[in-house]
Amino acid sequence: MEETHIAAEPSEHKAKSEGMAFAVGLAGWVLPGLGHALQKMWARAIACFLTVGVLVVIGAGMRGNLFTAEGGYAFAALGYVADLGTGTFYLLAKSLEIDGPDVSRADGDYGTRFLAAAGVLNLLAALHAYEAARGRKA
Amino acid sequence: MKLQLSHFQAMLLFALAISIAFGFLSRRPALERLKYIGWSLLMFLLIGIGIGWVMYPFSR
Repeated sequence: MEETHIAAEPSEHKAKSEGMAFAVGLAGWVLPGLGHALQKMWARAIACFLTVGVLVVIGAGMRGNLFTAEGGYAFAALGYVADLGTGTFYLLAKSLEIDGPDVSRADGDYGTRFLAAAGVLNLLAALHAYEAARGRKA
Repeated sequence: MKLQLSHFQAMLLFALAISIAFGFLSRRPALERLKYIGWSLLMFLLIGIGIGWVMYPFSR
């Protein structure tokens, strides 16, 4: 009985730390940089927050297309996934784009890329935070 | 809010933001980060401008 108890402990601990790592990754997605901040990686947290934030603000300022769930075609669905990658900054972009997107000019088209890049970058940062929480990245 | 940027300004800001993020995520010592950010930014700009010139004959 004692032996079983001892053997069960490491896997239980592993499952707990795996759950914690997932929570850290999720936090990093919801608020850019939070996943690193929770692990006291301050420089990375600030860098993620600022770079994703700047890309979102510029993208919305250039009136890029912020995709919604009602896209209707494959490219719009991909764009929506990319835009959602910014987490809560998606709402920030929406609140900044009062006049809506304007992709009739090159500026608007560039803005769309800025927003998508911000989302993908944040997903990458969240994945990095998750891996770091699992002890696989320094 | 409305921003009006030239193509070069947009490319510069994009390259700078991505280079900083990649530098901080992939390198740890400060000097290594700076070197990575510098190189990445330079490559972004050189390749971007290079592709622009390659496309020039077909632009009109």
